[in-house]
Amino acid sequence: MRRYVISATCLAWLAIIALLFGPARVLAQPAASKFEAQLIWGTNDSKSPDPRHKPVTPEILERLKELPLKWSHYFEVNRRQFALATNEGKRIEMSDKCDIEVRNLGNSNVEVALFGKGEKVVKRTQPLPSGEILVLGGNAPNATAWLVILKRIK
Amino acid sequence: MMEYNQQLKLQAYLDGELPEAEAREVANWLARDREAVALLTELRNTRQALAGFEAGFRVPESEDFYWSKIRREIERLEPVEAPVRPAIPWFKRLRGLLIPAAAAAVLAIAGLVVMQELGLRQRGTPGEAETALADAGTFTYRDFSARATLVWLTYPAENEVAGEDPIGTMD
Repeated sequence: MRRYVISATCLAWLAIIALLFGPARVLAQPAASKFEAQLIWGTNDSKSPDPRHKPVTPEILERLKELPLKWSHYFEVNRRQFALATNEGKRIEMSDKCDIEVRNLGNSNVEVALFGKGEKVVKRTQPLPSGEILVLGGNAPNATAWLVILKRIK
Repeated sequence: MMEYNQQLKLQAYLDGELPEAEAREVANWLARDREAVALLTELRNTRQALAGFEAGFRVPESEDFYWSKIRREIERLEPVEAPVRPAIPWFKRLRGLLIPAAAAAVLAIAGLVVMQELGLRQRGTPGEAETALADAGTFTYRDFSARATLVWLTYPAENEVAGEDPIGTMD
């Protein structure tokens, strides 16, 4: 009986310690995250008039095809990678006319603001865990589209 | 006063257990001693009375069962003594309280931690919020299989820069 009493007491203390230090350990994890932003041009033409443009990766192409977008070809105009600590924000220039401002809110949440010609167009807050993408897009001349794809890569 | 051995000898005489010589002596003694005669008469009466009682008595059950019933009845009527509990030391009683107290403490701490975690997550999880600015109309499409969120903007109006830039308005 005494052995059981001692075991139960030890178990209780272990549980208390685990409960106290477990969440602390989780909260103490490195909070910096790495992101990647891509500026994409969508078109039905198989070739871009700009030779600097290159087709998007098959992975991005596959995911874009699952979205209700009507274009058949997508070209990467620019790609930027950046790291953000928790509660850190950065403004990233994607083109002369397009900037984004990304803030890492922690717990996989981000705040994204899109700027067109220096003017804030939209601001969005949402979870963006690793493996998910956020696509901001709009129509462009000649039945084409522009897209900004943001994803967390680490 | 008659001696004890004399009383026994009278009893043996009455039961016919004495040898003939001794029986003759006792008979002579009885002829001389009135007290001995009185005792012999009393013994004889007693034997007759006992013999009469024993002759007609029959136990309705077997002897073992009969006596076991009597024993059980005696045991039932005897007061049952409460078992004496040994005194428990105070530290043992305290130790006995430690287990439920520790369990309650674990549950309370777990509840606090879970509530704290949920509170942190709720504070840290703004969910999805969107603010459209600069007259940009938006619609949002969520594709769970593609693990993608599409936010489609009408900004800028196509005719605003159409023709100025062969590729688009934002790139």
